[in-house]
Amino acid sequence: MDPDAVAKAFVEHYYSTFDANRAGLANLYQEGSMLTFEGQKIQGSQSIVAKLTSLPFQQCKHNITTVDCQPSGSGGMLVFVSGNLQLAGEQHALKFSQ
Amino acid sequence: MNPPINTQFWMGSAGLASLNYCVTALLFDGSNSDKQKEKSMDPDAVAKAFVDHYYSTFDANRAGLANLYQEGSMLTFEGQKIQGSQSIVAKLTSLPFQQCKHNISTVDCQPSGAGGVLVFVSGTLQLAGEQHALKFSQMFHLMPTPQGSFYVLNDIFRLNYA
Repeated sequence: MDPDAVAKAFVEHYYSTFDANRAGLANLYQEGSMLTFEGQKIQGSQSIVAKLTSLPFQQCKHNITTVDCQPSGSGGMLVFVSGNLQLAGEQHALKFSQ
Repeated sequence: MNPPINTQFWMGSAGLASLNYCVTALLFDGSNSDKQKEKSMDPDAVAKAFVDHYYSTFDANRAGLANLYQEGSMLTFEGQKIQGSQSIVAKLTSLPFQQCKHNISTVDCQPSGAGGVLVFVSGTLQLAGEQHALKFSQMFHLMPTPQGSFYVLNDIFRLNYA
C-alpha cells in the first residue's frame, strides 16, 4: 500500500474524529502508546484519551496545511503534520505541528 | 543498575539493553571507538545531545552532517523527498544561503521501539542578511548503530508560515 495514501487517510480520520468526538480516538492508541502534549508526557490509551477529552474547550476545528510521511523501519510509519487549530469563540487560530 | 524511574516509564517493551549507552557528543561524530556501555541512558539526554550537535554542525559546516546519515536515511525537506547520506548532504549544502543560525525553542522525544528515539524540534532559523527569522519544525528518528552511537534514519523539515 502507498505510504502517502495511508498517511493521508490516517490524518483525515484522526482530525475529523478529534473535532467531532475526542473519546472516539481511544481505539487508535494502545497500552504502550505515548503522547507528549505541549511537553507533558502521558502513556497508555486510557490516560491519553482522558487528557484529550479534558482539554479546556468544547468545540474545535483542525485545518491541515502539510502532511509528510516516511517509513520508520520495522513496518512503521512516521507522519508529520502542520496546520492550525480554531477554537470555538476564539478570534485567532492557533498554529500547530504534530 | 536500574534505570531511573522516568526512563523505566518510557522503556515499555522497547528493551532496556538497546538504550544502554553513555551520552556524549562523541556519540555522533562517527569516529568514537570507545564503547561506553553499562550506563543507563535517558532518551531526553540523547535527544538534547543530538539536537545540540546537529544544529551547531549545520550552522558551522553543513558538509559535516554526512556521518549522521546512512544509505537508507530519508530526508523530506519542504516536501521534497531525498534518500541516502550523499544526496541528503548534497541537498543541505546546496541550500541558497551561506550562513545561518538555528535557535531551538522546544525539544520533545520519545522512544520509538526497536531501540530508536524520536526527536521533535521547533525553533527559528536566522539567515545572514535577512531581517526576519523563519519559524520551523523538524522531526528526527534516531537509530542505534552497532558501535554504540546513533544515526538519523528519518528526517522531516518544514518551515512554519503565518
